[in-house]
Amino acid sequence: MNWSNILTATLSAFFGVNAMYFALSAIGLNVQFGYAGLLNFGQAGFMACGAYAVGMTAHYYGISFWWGVPIAVVYAVIFGLIMGVPTLRLRADYLAIVTIALAECVRLIVRSVTFKKYFGGSDGINQFANSFVSKTPFNPSSKYSLYPFADSVNAVGSVLLLVSFAVCSVLLGHMLAQKWAKEERQGFQTKWIISAVAVMAFLMIASKQTEYDGLSFKSLVVGWILAAVIGGFIYMLMRSPWGRVIKGIREDEDAVRSLGKNVYSYKMQALILGGVIATFSGIMFSVSRGSVQPDNYSRDVTFYVLTALVLGGLAKVSGSIVGPMLFWAILSFVDAFLNELAKSWGGHVDIFGIPLITESSHIGVYVQVVIGLMLVFLMVFRPQGLFGNKKEMALDGH
Amino acid sequence: MNPGDQLKKRLQHLVALLLVGLAVFGMFAEPAHAEDLAVKVRVQNQVQDAGTGKTKKEPVAGVKVVVADTSGAQVGEGVTDDKGVALIPLPAKADYTVTLDESTLPEGFALQEGGAERQVKGDAFVTSTVTVNYFTGAANRATVGWWSQFAQRLADGARFGLILAMCAVGLSLIFGTTGLTNFAHGEMVTFGAMIAYILNTDRAITPWLAFPVAIIAGGAFGLAQNEFIYSPLRKRKIGLVSQMVVTVGVAIVLKNIFLRILGGRTKVFAAFNNQDCKRVGPICVTPRDATTALISLVILVGVALALQKTRLGKATRAVSDNPDLASSTGIDSQKIIRLVWILGGMLAATGGIFRGLDEGVGPFIGSDLLFLMFAGITLGGLGSAYGALVGSFVIGLFVEVSTLGIPIMPGKNWPAPLDWLHNGVPSELKNVPAYVGMIIVLLVRPQGILGRRERVG
Amino acid sequence: MATDEQTLSETARIARAALANVAPEPGVAKPDPIMTAEGVRRSFGGITAVDVERVEIQRGSITALIGPNGAGKTTFFNLMTAFDTPDTGKWWFDGKDLEGVQAHKTADMGMVRTFQLTKSLTKMSVIENMKLGATGQKGEKWWNGLLPFTWLAQEREIEARADALLARFKLDHMRNEYAGTLSGGQRKLLEMSRALMTNPKLVMLDEPMAGVNPALKQSLNQHIKGLRDEGMTVLFVEHDMDMVHDISDWVIVMAEGMIIAEGTPDQISSNPAVIDAYLGAHQGKSLLEDL
Repeated sequence: MNWSNILTATLSAFFGVNAMYFALSAIGLNVQFGYAGLLNFGQAGFMACGAYAVGMTAHYYGISFWWGVPIAVVYAVIFGLIMGVPTLRLRADYLAIVTIALAECVRLIVRSVTFKKYFGGSDGINQFANSFVSKTPFNPSSKYSLYPFADSVNAVGSVLLLVSFAVCSVLLGHMLAQKWAKEERQGFQTKWIISAVAVMAFLMIASKQTEYDGLSFKSLVVGWILAAVIGGFIYMLMRSPWGRVIKGIREDEDAVRSLGKNVYSYKMQALILGGVIATFSGIMFSVSRGSVQPDNYSRDVTFYVLTALVLGGLAKVSGSIVGPMLFWAILSFVDAFLNELAKSWGGHVDIFGIPLITESSHIGVYVQVVIGLMLVFLMVFRPQGLFGNKKEMALDGH
Repeated sequence: MNPGDQLKKRLQHLVALLLVGLAVFGMFAEPAHAEDLAVKVRVQNQVQDAGTGKTKKEPVAGVKVVVADTSGAQVGEGVTDDKGVALIPLPAKADYTVTLDESTLPEGFALQEGGAERQVKGDAFVTSTVTVNYFTGAANRATVGWWSQFAQRLADGARFGLILAMCAVGLSLIFGTTGLTNFAHGEMVTFGAMIAYILNTDRAITPWLAFPVAIIAGGAFGLAQNEFIYSPLRKRKIGLVSQMVVTVGVAIVLKNIFLRILGGRTKVFAAFNNQDCKRVGPICVTPRDATTALISLVILVGVALALQKTRLGKATRAVSDNPDLASSTGIDSQKIIRLVWILGGMLAATGGIFRGLDEGVGPFIGSDLLFLMFAGITLGGLGSAYGALVGSFVIGLFVEVSTLGIPIMPGKNWPAPLDWLHNGVPSELKNVPAYVGMIIVLLVRPQGILGRRERVG
Repeated sequence: MATDEQTLSETARIARAALANVAPEPGVAKPDPIMTAEGVRRSFGGITAVDVERVEIQRGSITALIGPNGAGKTTFFNLMTAFDTPDTGKWWFDGKDLEGVQAHKTADMGMVRTFQLTKSLTKMSVIENMKLGATGQKGEKWWNGLLPFTWLAQEREIEARADALLARFKLDHMRNEYAGTLSGGQRKLLEMSRALMTNPKLVMLDEPMAGVNPALKQSLNQHIKGLRDEGMTVLFVEHDMDMVHDISDWVIVMAEGMIIAEGTPDQISSNPAVIDAYLGAHQGKSLLEDL
């Protein structure tokens, strides 16, 4: 068994394209579900809005796909209105049912033969992001690393990477220190420093394993910066009076309504804001591959984003960014581990005579089973996520 | 033992149970074929049967197909055999272009939708072969009168509606008694079909034994879900929204276990296969379909009567209406909930078997029905068992009938949604009008046809 | 039980004097009503929960709404504050027709309510709960949320007002705790003081005394009287007849959805219709014990 392969796969998944676009989507879902308590099961639909808006703009009008970004935002707003208007006055489960059904409608329509001339059917739209691909400074055929001292990184890149690693270390170190210190505030700073150093060390080790092609690397840089900026905005917003109303609605919308707030309007704002953020996730994902494919926006994608979010912890910006990283690291680990296991067992994994894995495509099935189990167990035993505050969760609703 | 430990222990039991279940079904599952990578091209000619208006598919032999990789280099070619199939070996899981040589099609045959050139994606290789379907056909539509087509769709729709209603009643009863919207209900449907398929086809057991066993297994499956997952969660006072998210996780787990056991391709039951249809007035039904429709009808009427007349049925409705009040009048609501899970599981399994007889058994036959069930329940009124019955029946009927257009508009090339009115909804999109209808119902009358307005807010 | 005239505050004397000449009969007109309901009906699945011919609430008074369980008091509250919609009927607040007005607008108009089951937002701190109550906050627009300079000054002002109220209700020591850590009585106080953050004209309290310990009850009493002294009108639902007697200027009795009697506390405790209604619901108990 080749453990170094497994380790490399796991660590490079931390910063990979998958974690990046999931993080953007999770930040949006966090606004809706984490802060406002709106169970949006149609996040994939919002993501598809972004992906198709940029894809179609570039493909059919021959202009740069960047023009598709404002169109994507408009699509997301319209999609949010269609979801919200019939359901936001009703009980929570109606929203879940309608959002998931609408996202499914979007997927069925964009992949249909009937509308193939607009959306490209099940093949989607391909090679539309050439203007993004061809732009310097990254050469698509070269390999790039996130390790600040790697050969492919120049001086400016090193400094930028080190600075961002340091910022991440300080922020994540604070989160970990809070978890570590729990109630007592004594010696908090020491714990913070230790945690930050540990995070920094981890980032250095993990980034050393990473190697991306030019296009992925460019998408990663743009995507993670976008995630950081949007995350910062959400952080500010949730500490404003607007965020106070949103959090109040999650707990008891009647109480908030009795205090003169238009709950319906706030819920709609949260739904649309989260949807617009998810749209950027779709944009970044499709741009990073230069193609849009309908089956990347199936209902399962929403559920995976949800799992990633719950893993990191609801109602925390840090949770919605760290969660997807951990999620993809875990998935990559399971996938690589099972692959290596199957390889070292000669392609067959039998336990007690049960043929668990007989061909490599079976591995994907077990990876998804792991996702499902993760969602169930997190929801039951750690609804606050891996880094959440147990005390807050223990507070009884009434 | 505190409730948390108890829950942990129960969940451990559940995982053990799932593993044992996987093990058992692993034995049932087909031995894996060490197939080589290949693309399977199937060319079929669609002929509309003049009598029934149904489309039949016949293989087309002697058609040349070429496969090229992304650089355009040819990697293989083949000619369809008398089953209309050409199996072209491939070097690796990668993206390919499959091109059908239209000049080799028989005289008078023309390719229908999709074009001669098709893309195969590397990630489409769930198993070692990927199938590419080509359909040909002459313009032989509408040889049957519109009214007889309509009658046929109505009959098919009624049958589908009955199956859908049977699947949805359990979902609605569970919602009514516990408040839980179960996103894993589709998997209960698949479960019944899968057990029936394994027993009937893999184990060659007579359907008269295999199907009842599968239905009982479905009831046990429902009970197990309640006992091991949702009952402990209720005791732990986990919120309904969290429980709903748990059902999503359960659905993901089950769906993938089913996928592993059944494989990605749709399977056909050994029993009652390939029946010819019998003509009844303007419509044509196979004895199998007539029987399943009749049984569904009897079961549904039975369920409705049981809810109306029997003591347990009345208690169930009482718990649905107001759980607190019901328990204060001495009804054991936990017992009722258990009963509802068993009944729901059995009905879902029955629906799954009937659906499987119709459409074949695949790992997603249940989850593909889930949103239609939701649409039906919403139409009928969330939480009302009769509403679910009526609503799902209407939705099933609507989905089938909507694929037949009403040829009222002159001229031809209308833009898509208007065209649907004229030519019918394309079958790939036939669920879309049902979902849109559900949203319109929520806008106009959120309590549904038979619901009460107090329940919705 | 006669209230000692000496202990009455100025506002109480004014309120009682204004109501002194009002006839003690259901639906009677008041000299200066702040709220009026007419022909308000609401039924649930065939059962009529509320059927009010006419009722008026006198401005500047403390009015008690009493009645046996299931009399429709809370439903009436819900109807007046647009948390539920009546089948028929019209109602006015401060001269404005409230038909079709949404719940959150009623609060903006100066009509605020509390709930029978306290709705403190448990995972928010006490001070955050309070600040949520303030109306007209600039920072509650999402685009302003990102521009703190647009709302920080107002936020400080709101915080000062919230702190003052917390001090008055003796919750200041819990300021930064999660509201979920408060006791039942403290939650009632928090909910009431949060409602006051909206600067209301009419405060509608749904069973403010339920589940509150006797010591706290006494101070809650004083707080309610204090509201009247500040010029607010109070309408409250209550079971405890002692308290009703002690603080209310006027009592309205509901049974089976209808208003069956009105009058001063003394008039009500000797009203045979009221005794009948209570006896019908709870046989063999004395009125005072059960009201």
